[in-house]
Amino acid sequence: MASILTPPSEAVDREVAAAISGGGRDARGLAFQTLLLLAMLMALGVLVWLLYSVIDGALPVFSERSLGDFLQGKLSGSPARFGVAQGIIGSFWILVFVAVFSFPLGVASAIYLEEYAADNRFSRLVNVLVRNLAGVPAVVYGLLGLFLFKGLLGGLTGGSSLISAGLTMAILVLPVVIITSAEAIRAVPQPLREGGYGLGATRWEVIKTQVLPYAAPGILTGTVLSFARALGEAAPLLIIGTATGLLTASGGSVMETLRGKYTAMPMLVYVATKRPAEKWLPLASAAALVLLVVLLVANTAAILARNHFEKRRS
Amino acid sequence: MTRTHGIKWAVAGVAALSLLATACGGSDSATDDTTGGKDLKGTIFVTGSSTVEPISSLVGESFNGENSGVDITVEGPGTGDGFKKFCAGEADVANASRTIKDEEKELCASGGVEFVELAVANDALSVITNSKNTAVKCLNFADLYGLMGPESDNVSTWAGAKELGATTELPDAPFKIFAPGQESGTYDSFWELAIKKTAEEKLGKEKAEEKKLRTFGGLADDNEIIRGIQSSDTSFGWVGFAFADQADVAKIEVDGGEGCVEPSAATVADGTYPLARTLYIYVNKAKAQKSEALQAFVSYYLENGAEFVEEADYVQLPEADATAATEAWEQVLAGDGAEATTTTAG
Repeated sequence: MASILTPPSEAVDREVAAAISGGGRDARGLAFQTLLLLAMLMALGVLVWLLYSVIDGALPVFSERSLGDFLQGKLSGSPARFGVAQGIIGSFWILVFVAVFSFPLGVASAIYLEEYAADNRFSRLVNVLVRNLAGVPAVVYGLLGLFLFKGLLGGLTGGSSLISAGLTMAILVLPVVIITSAEAIRAVPQPLREGGYGLGATRWEVIKTQVLPYAAPGILTGTVLSFARALGEAAPLLIIGTATGLLTASGGSVMETLRGKYTAMPMLVYVATKRPAEKWLPLASAAALVLLVVLLVANTAAILARNHFEKRRS
Repeated sequence: MTRTHGIKWAVAGVAALSLLATACGGSDSATDDTTGGKDLKGTIFVTGSSTVEPISSLVGESFNGENSGVDITVEGPGTGDGFKKFCAGEADVANASRTIKDEEKELCASGGVEFVELAVANDALSVITNSKNTAVKCLNFADLYGLMGPESDNVSTWAGAKELGATTELPDAPFKIFAPGQESGTYDSFWELAIKKTAEEKLGKEKAEEKKLRTFGGLADDNEIIRGIQSSDTSFGWVGFAFADQADVAKIEVDGGEGCVEPSAATVADGTYPLARTLYIYVNKAKAQKSEALQAFVSYYLENGAEFVEEADYVQLPEADATAATEAWEQVLAGDGAEATTTTAG
């Protein structure tokens, strides 16, 4: 007892430190730390270089025309008129589909898998399947969309239309939404649930008042990250087919818009890289820059939403 | 099998019915002045060659400026993919950087799609190399056969083409190919215009047709070809004129038997450049007879296309070919659609 109460002298401190580090300076530890720092700097360097090259590549566009002109411009065969307005609108609609279909379906599936499903072979199989689906390349989902929405349901969707693209993207991100939501729900401490049951709450009441509010920040973060994926994917759209040369619309009902031809942000980047590089490559960079900014805004929104819910939780 | 047949027959039936139904209506709308400021309404879907895409986009944009009620969509998945959609009745117009192949004609026939082929522009298929490669200025067809023909798989230097009959003194330097892959219409154009004749003389029709060009890693993207050409001092490849003209690469002159000719708007226009190819639009006849908007669009294309052809860095058709296209189109407008009329230019 006495030895614990006596404050350790500096000499003891030094002795202990020397014993732990093996006598000399901790050379290995220092080397490891340096290695980690280098790895971090490399990753950061690549990101900075990417940003720099995109911005640098886009500059020629904005020296000739205003940002507003580029943002309001449409698909065109002329590099002087080409702009991203239709891509922004198309991508916005795709996000609406993802939000309307993937979010509720994904969160509901996750709640079922985590809170209701018994831990048996079937539920484990479903878990494995969902995890594997999340890793399936986007091109494969494009083929699914081509077959299902453009082929089988072509009469309803209108073929290569916003509906086909939106639903394909919704399916593409669904596994990611399920996995991130399930993980957020799994992280809810068990005593929180037990406390609810102890007060006589039903399972649904516990989920509604305890589990979901606690898991909300995690669910939101995962969902918005999946939105970002839907925003950036070009492969499924390439397969389903989008307008790449010209898209004029005289306006009409929302249904007509949804069943009509469309284009989206990543497709505009792709289109511009396919044309003669001298005039078009700066436009590709400019479109990529707009896409990056949109993604940044989406991610910032996710972080703000998460912070908001985390504050409410505490 | 039986199911797809069923669908094909159904499509054919619908197309035939619509043709019948519009046969009478088609003729009087044809007499209207379609360029006048009428309130046209409708949708037009143009697919096919990415090479022709910019021209059709520019024409469509301008047409839409005068007829805002007509919605026009233009996409450019490639000539082959375009014909697949066109022959399934999905598209009104197919852009093409080559003429339709026999198997594609069969596809259209089984889809019940009758079409008219209209030449809209010319393009100089430009053979290119690195701008530092000053040793190669001009190639004739024998040289091109020695370098790219079906027998040249083992030719790895420019000089190696000599063994296969090349007659020009070529440098003993690595021969690096950066050229479009087989799925591209530009691959087919090069085969047709530069190699086919020599290959058929040497190997016979069947064997030549089977292999076409030598085996090489084809590139899907014209800008990738340009970058490849720029990356290697002794590179070789070919692209459409617009890409060659707007980049820092050297255009190789081509000798088609009457001396070396440089690719340019002038040499294509006067018919002296041997690798000039024609760019086409294919129009679905049944759809054209049903839709006044489509009629007006195609008429507008033929009347005003030349302006946009230049803007997109292609070459205007010679007057005779442009007139032939207009006449073929007028026949369709007149409802004389018994069989597919073709205007093959050049």
